[in-house]
Amino acid sequence: MSANPRRFVSVNGIDRRDFLIRGSGLVSAAFLAACDSRGPKAADKLLKYAERKNLAVERKLFRHTSMDVVQAGAHEAGNKLPSYYIAPTVPVWEESVRGKWALEVSGLVGNPVRLTLADLQKLPQVSNRVNHYCVEGWTAVETWTGVPFTELARFVRLDPRARYVDFQSFDDDYHESWDIESAMHKQTVVAYGLDGKPLEPAHGAPARVYSPVKLGYKNTKYLTKIVFMPQMNGGYWSDQGYEWYGGV
Amino acid sequence: MVGSGLRIFNAYPAFARKGEMFCCYPFEHKPIPDWLTFGGWLGGARHWHFAMMWLLVVNGLVYLTFIYLHGEWRDLVPRKGDIRDSWQMVKFYTFRRKDHPHQGKNNALQKTAYFLLPVFGALAVVTGFAIWKPVQLSWLTAIFGGYVWARYWHFIAMLAMVILSIGHIFMVFAVDPYSLPSMITGNYDPSHSPEARNARPFYHLFPRRTPAPPMPPPPEAT
Repeated sequence: MSANPRRFVSVNGIDRRDFLIRGSGLVSAAFLAACDSRGPKAADKLLKYAERKNLAVERKLFRHTSMDVVQAGAHEAGNKLPSYYIAPTVPVWEESVRGKWALEVSGLVGNPVRLTLADLQKLPQVSNRVNHYCVEGWTAVETWTGVPFTELARFVRLDPRARYVDFQSFDDDYHESWDIESAMHKQTVVAYGLDGKPLEPAHGAPARVYSPVKLGYKNTKYLTKIVFMPQMNGGYWSDQGYEWYGGV
Repeated sequence: MVGSGLRIFNAYPAFARKGEMFCCYPFEHKPIPDWLTFGGWLGGARHWHFAMMWLLVVNGLVYLTFIYLHGEWRDLVPRKGDIRDSWQMVKFYTFRRKDHPHQGKNNALQKTAYFLLPVFGALAVVTGFAIWKPVQLSWLTAIFGGYVWARYWHFIAMLAMVILSIGHIFMVFAVDPYSLPSMITGNYDPSHSPEARNARPFYHLFPRRTPAPPMPPPPEAT
């Protein structure tokens, strides 16, 4: 070794070239192991734990006074708003087959009701120009017209024991349950209108829940039932591993 | 964090709001290669990202507390002349200056990089919160120009950190590999410093320019 002065040995005996070779080998092995994988199975517990803690943080952060604000100059998405449903084709309520559509509001309420579209439209109406936040990362500005959720809750005399609410649909078995505070946010509506027109089947006709405080997948389209519950009830995407809370 | 972030980004590899165009990203709608991503799928990557973000935050706070308590932040704050000195380092590395500019612990380019890294780290964290909670923390999102721009700055902060880290690691191996053992042991031989060796990248791998001393004549046979 002393015959080659270019081979440098540090005081503690770590040979530089060995260090480089072994070091880069380890680093590349770690990288290769991690590439496009879901990560080690052993981490699942840790990730679940983090999700529970994040849920607590997010619910603490939630304020009824925090409003979604559309940026000045933002354009409406219009027909660029993507249309998602889980059924193989656009779910359409066939009156000839299923009878007249009605929204059932039940569970922990003093006055369970079945509301036709006309009944919904008689309740106080609001139009919110808000952002749509998709879990994929895109946003879209739209104006949603419908019944403020708080008005609906008052109409059915919400029981204070109701801590969660499940939004169910006729798009196969799609549903998503929410914490009650997000549902009672001022910008949450049961929407039957989009951009000044009646809601179309592509976006959840006859009625859907819409709120900027939840990611897109939490906003159930093609509503059939709104059920108030004492405990959470999962959801179509939540059960497949997306966060149950999905708050924005 | 980078890999899972890129996996999330790939779910919508663009910045434009639906129905709009985005000015400032040349690769709109072109996904990042899968081998650079981590998490396997959108939901999995989100779980990794939202779990590990706390580690990044804690790590950053420990780092800042440490350099504050040890006074080492003084080595990092930019000073007058740093830009000029950085330019001298660039000139040296590009063979437009012969001798290594004089430096203390770190040269001006290093100082700039080590100052910018935590700045971009903090930017990544803060813009991260801005796009995690654009309604609940709408005031924060507004500071960065709204959700679309906050998401863009989050991406830029990541890119800057990746570039700085790759540059840093490259320079460690290419210019000052003698500092590698000293990162663990603390011993550093100043006679091997890049300044003492007048080292440009990979200098230590090239043969010396100075001619070898003449060979002594072979001993006379007796």
